[in-house]
Amino acid sequence: MTPADDQAAAAAPAEAPATTRGIFDKKLLAACISCGFCLPACPTYRLTQDERSSPRGRITLMRALETGRLEEDDPTLQEQASFCLGCRACEPVCPAGVQYGSLLEQWRDHQWRGRHVPPLALALRAGMRVTPAFGVAGRLRGAARPTGPAAPIEPDGVRAHLMLGCAERALYPQVSRSVLALLPGVVDVPSGQGCCGAMHAHNGGSEQSRELAEELGRRLPGVILTTAGGCGGHLAHVLGRDRVRELSEFLLEYWGERPDRMPALRRLTVEGSDGSADGRPLRVGLQDSCHLRNGMGVFAQPRELIGRVAEYVELPSAGSCCGSAGTYSLLRPDDSQRVLDVHLDEIEAAGLDHLVVVNVVCQRQLIAGLRRRRSTTTVLHLAELLARAAT
Amino acid sequence: MTAAATTPGSLGTAVLDELRGIVGAPHVLTTDGDVEPFSRDATPLFRAKPDAVVLPATTREVSAVLALATRHGIPVTPRGAGSNLSAATIPEHGGIVLVLTRMNRVLEVSGAELLAVVEAGATTAALSDAAAAHGLLYAPDPGSRTVSTVAGNVATCAGGLRGLKYGVTRNYVLGLEVVLPTGEILRTGGRLWKDVAGYDLTRLLTGSEGTLAVITEVTVGLLPLPAAAGTGVAYFDHLADAGRAVAKIIADGTLPATLEFLDNRCINAVEDFARLGLDRDAGALLLFGDDGSADLVAGSLRRMADACSAIGARDVTLAADVAQAEALLAARRCSLPALARLAPITMLEDVTVPRPRLAEMVDEIDRIAARHDVVCATFGHAGDGNLHPTIVFDPQDGDAQHRAEAAFDEVFRTAMRLDGTITGEHGVGAAKRPWLAARLGEDQLALLRRIKTAFDPAGILNPGKTGS
Repeated sequence: MTPADDQAAAAAPAEAPATTRGIFDKKLLAACISCGFCLPACPTYRLTQDERSSPRGRITLMRALETGRLEEDDPTLQEQASFCLGCRACEPVCPAGVQYGSLLEQWRDHQWRGRHVPPLALALRAGMRVTPAFGVAGRLRGAARPTGPAAPIEPDGVRAHLMLGCAERALYPQVSRSVLALLPGVVDVPSGQGCCGAMHAHNGGSEQSRELAEELGRRLPGVILTTAGGCGGHLAHVLGRDRVRELSEFLLEYWGERPDRMPALRRLTVEGSDGSADGRPLRVGLQDSCHLRNGMGVFAQPRELIGRVAEYVELPSAGSCCGSAGTYSLLRPDDSQRVLDVHLDEIEAAGLDHLVVVNVVCQRQLIAGLRRRRSTTTVLHLAELLARAAT
Repeated sequence: MTAAATTPGSLGTAVLDELRGIVGAPHVLTTDGDVEPFSRDATPLFRAKPDAVVLPATTREVSAVLALATRHGIPVTPRGAGSNLSAATIPEHGGIVLVLTRMNRVLEVSGAELLAVVEAGATTAALSDAAAAHGLLYAPDPGSRTVSTVAGNVATCAGGLRGLKYGVTRNYVLGLEVVLPTGEILRTGGRLWKDVAGYDLTRLLTGSEGTLAVITEVTVGLLPLPAAAGTGVAYFDHLADAGRAVAKIIADGTLPATLEFLDNRCINAVEDFARLGLDRDAGALLLFGDDGSADLVAGSLRRMADACSAIGARDVTLAADVAQAEALLAARRCSLPALARLAPITMLEDVTVPRPRLAEMVDEIDRIAARHDVVCATFGHAGDGNLHPTIVFDPQDGDAQHRAEAAFDEVFRTAMRLDGTITGEHGVGAAKRPWLAARLGEDQLALLRRIKTAFDPAGILNPGKTGS
């Protein structure tokens, strides 16, 4: 029996000799009581049925690192810090309120220092700083044009600043244009937007990520409107929840307050080969964004909006990570694919016309996955689906 | 039984190679980092490192591992999901932790025979869901059902929220496939509700905490899914009042499916997590529920509501719909981890007293907590007389742990004085071992040890647990 427990050690005063290394926030690390309620929510545990790749097992590993029982070059620590998707599905199911996402960031900050950084993560961290490159790519492909400096927020004018998002403006510029079509005159697109830093936070660069988010917060004063759950979750964490609105919650709030500004949304139906509608409503599913759902608590809103314009189909794993997980699909392509396959099977079985996404990396992941399977289901961002219904 | 003598790291290369030959190299874990997550379970203040973690995929592999362990005198601690609260899966003597989560299939659900067959590592929720898909009910409903494994439930004779009307795990185990520590594969019981051939080894193994054999497959009895279910909530000024309401409900002739209570601290901790709009000012909450035909449920709920009002409930309401009832039950199941919000260490106990003495025990717990200056929150399966007094403390607070331990010592002795027991459903494991002799007496403890020796002559299987 070893009653000298890590839980106790992790909560011991800082001056207690050689009990803790200060890698983790003591309070956060002490919060877990190892009940295991998180296990069924964890996509990597579901894949492996292995305690090591569960949130509880990872917290046990973090405690061993904090108390010095394991060193950071331990292969299991390295592997598990990287294998975790960072989806935070363990947080809403945790009755003890463990802030796993923050612990993971602290873990990776420490674990991925110096020579321990996965080279690709380092390259991505550096690359994302060079936002002008992304900006130019986006403009060439037709993302929403910047409207100049941020306009003042006014009750009858601009209510929020649309954040373009590094990856989204380069890969899916039609998303920001759809937002402007849905909210004419209600949002502006300030120029000179940088990166929000979400990617850095999830890849061992917490400090840098905070600076980037704060800088973006200064450039976009007032409410920031985002179309990507990953960016939104991070900005809300750094700038405060009240500064950030994700598209679906913003639309419901704004249209609820100003129904006169809501465009007429028609029910979308399947079009025949001659372009005429055959009457069957489109079957549309959703892939939640993990950080939107688990970090910002937004999941009912996109479902409600889809239900207004199409037949909404709830997929069994809609709320579970699709495996894109920020940069995960680049860092761990095989594991990412294993996680994704479950979703692709469900999408094909459900016979969907469209799958709606609310985050850019999910969009990329699902487009690529469905294309590989030659699926007839096409992926749309929520903004695109709604913009189609509004025309 | 003395534990087989091994020191950490003592498994030789030859033994490890043999283990790898049996289950495959990826399923034998030996590095410090790999075994660390298996060094603890859901019990606070217990941790011990195994020398190896072995994850078998078949009963034959389990058999080969155990035969090898007996041959070499290596301690083996069987483990399911590691959600137990008695340190039953802590490898106190090192050796092998044998994890059964890879064997997790639901093999069969038979509506004609009203039974299901599952592998050891299937979760309780997976079994329930599979049964429900056939219109059937697996009645045992432990709080950790989404996590816990069926074999783990059998090994600890897990209880839960339906104990009063439906009983506990032991009432549903029809048959087991187990592997003896010496490697023999046995089938006890079977698919029969009636079978008295020989000693009832199925019942003996149920609750044996992995000290007698390793359970690899379980056959459980099922019931038809009740047509209707309903739930209500009553608030009281004091927990003891809720205890009196429970006594009155039973005395009035109702045997409901669920009678759970929470004190004020639990109400607030649960509300912080679940946000159901519970009355944070109430001294106690009684969750009552029943199932069966719609008429029966309506009548039962009305009688229970009346009984609560007669005892002086501040407020009584019935859940509007199934979703609300489910939310209330889910919130009750998370009482323990929700209490973890109060302080870094959450020590939970499991005393059980005869139902008529429930209110008395509740008052005693209050007095004991005050005397030892500890923060104690109490919830439990009131209908079963099963209480979970939970002491939360911060280890930075000087002798807080000692005060908690002293308080629990007194709680156990008080429960026994009231004709109760030291554990109703969590098990003895390592955590409750110091009080087992007081509960059983020397003669019974000696018999228990002789039984252990008959099953496990080399003393390798979860040595030292449950007084073995």
